[in-house]
Amino acid sequence: MKAIQVKQVGGPEAMELVELPVPQPKANEAVVKLAASGVNFIDVYFREGRYKAPLPLIPGNEGAGAVTAVGAEVKALKVGDHVAWAGVQGSYAEYAAVPADRLVPIPSDVSDQQAAAVMLQGMTAHYLSHDTFPLKQGETALVHAAAGGVGLLLVQMAHNIGARVIATVSSEEKAQLARGAGADEVIFYTQQDFEVETKRLTGGKGVDVVYDSVGRTTFEKGLNILRPRGMMVLFGGSSGAVPPFDLITLSQKGSLYVTRPSLFHYIATREELVARSSSLFSMIAEGKLKLRIEYRYPLAEAQQAHRDLEGRKTTGKLLLLP
Amino acid sequence: MKAIRVHNTGGPEVMKLEEVPVPQPKPAEAVVKVAVAGVNSIDGYFRDGRFRTPLPFIPGQEGAGVVTAVGARVKTAKIGDRVAWSGVLGSYAEFVVSPEEHLVPVPAAISEEQAAAAMVHGLTAHYLVTDAHKLKAGETALVHAAAGGVGLLLVQMARAIGARVIGTVSSDEKAQLAREAGADEVIVFTKQDFEVEVKRLTDGKGVEVVYDGVGKATFEKNLNVMRLRGMLVLYGMSSGPVLPVDPAKLSEKGSLYMARTTLAHFTATREELLARTSALFGMIGDGKLKLRIAKTYALADAPQAHRDMEARKIAGKLLLIP
Repeated sequence: MKAIQVKQVGGPEAMELVELPVPQPKANEAVVKLAASGVNFIDVYFREGRYKAPLPLIPGNEGAGAVTAVGAEVKALKVGDHVAWAGVQGSYAEYAAVPADRLVPIPSDVSDQQAAAVMLQGMTAHYLSHDTFPLKQGETALVHAAAGGVGLLLVQMAHNIGARVIATVSSEEKAQLARGAGADEVIFYTQQDFEVETKRLTGGKGVDVVYDSVGRTTFEKGLNILRPRGMMVLFGGSSGAVPPFDLITLSQKGSLYVTRPSLFHYIATREELVARSSSLFSMIAEGKLKLRIEYRYPLAEAQQAHRDLEGRKTTGKLLLLP
Repeated sequence: MKAIRVHNTGGPEVMKLEEVPVPQPKPAEAVVKVAVAGVNSIDGYFRDGRFRTPLPFIPGQEGAGVVTAVGARVKTAKIGDRVAWSGVLGSYAEFVVSPEEHLVPVPAAISEEQAAAAMVHGLTAHYLVTDAHKLKAGETALVHAAAGGVGLLLVQMARAIGARVIGTVSSDEKAQLAREAGADEVIVFTKQDFEVEVKRLTDGKGVEVVYDGVGKATFEKNLNVMRLRGMLVLYGMSSGPVLPVDPAKLSEKGSLYMARTTLAHFTATREELLARTSALFGMIGDGKLKLRIAKTYALADAPQAHRDMEARKIAGKLLLIP
């Protein structure tokens, strides 16, 4: 089979197209012929060596396709089933062997490409809005980087719940996207102070929750715009890691809550993984969640896909089609 | 009237019994003849200067008594009403003046001693189990300093909800008190490592919530005894303030939540203050919540009361009788 391999960590050119044997399933695994593989920043971190994995490695943490072989202990899957996964390395390839308990079924009204596009970002938006801080109708949420991959999905889910959404974005083009996803208010953080604007937009009361994947540059101000007993959900650090902070600020600013969640802890059990992905797929099938799959690349162009992603010129999801 | 005054911050000896004029109410205030004043650790923080207030001042935040005068714009309080309060500085005196909105009615079934003893510790225990983390039947809570002023009430309330309670205490005598309050398990932290014990008692799973008024000494280990997505509620710092926290730790340890809470934010509106106190007085009146009034002192003996409090030898509430 064809696969992308990283033998030594480095830039996009470290990814080579190679010919490898099709993997055989272990007893608890299934082999999937990939229809689509999602491209994510985590793939860049593994390629660069910022995140460690044994070399050589096949990058890619998200994919969808059809089962072609199952191990002896696999009961719930059969050849031909359409399945998707997230969090198992090796999706930049024609075939991948994946533990069966990490594979979720794709319903017939969702395509493999759609499934591959939402496993990481969609399940992230889902756990943030439904579990980390279960949003309720009438609450107000601030979503940073609202036109980003997770952001656009999170805005739609928050809007569908009936929450008021205040979005921060960097450009007019991204503001349009955020509004299209259902943001009630959009703040251009490059031109306006989001602390001042959010206070104005909430009549000085502040928001119930801040969803922040930006980190270093937004964290402190985020604490200033939470209502008393509000929650800061820090789920990424695209501007850098938040430095250690003094807990007393949480009580001074109104008995605030802080959490730093990661997807893995919200799909830790099989039950939760299946429940979350099914809920997500239903939203897509019912047309309640719109995906923006803007870029599709053949497997051989994985390098270009990474260059485009890292250049931050893309808005919307990048897929490799092996 | 007689009052305790602090002219210079320092040890218990800086509290002097003096003769001062009876306060007069401003338009929205009432004057109360203090029947009982509660002694709290926060009084020590104001006395020694850790918390600042203009000098000279009359210490004491909590008490109960009878209204003797009202200002022109006071709406509901009347002369002769039995009332209680917390968060009103100046309670170590024969009379105190308070904004009307901080006074709550004391029902006939509750004595003034009970009311004064329950305001700070009881309201704190109440908001911790009902709001800071809404404790549910079947959950497991770790309560540090379980034989302390808040601890003994928190243990009782947690048990009444149907939660399993693991308490930590410093001595066998206090362990007995925590058990009598309903703790299912008690860890004497001077003899046992609470991290090891909590893991053993929960089969390695950890607890849903940690209620911690201790702070520095317990913080790091707390992060190791919570289940995935568990909550750490820090409501005090009897061992000193917690060092700055790296938020990445919360994700490494299992997408944990952290809150640093203070009572004022959970009694901020008049509605919430009244609802909380009436729930609290209801539990006391019904005999569901037992207060442990350890010792009462004459107003002149306030320095001795602070010495006893700070020596941490007496378990239960200390009261001054002006």
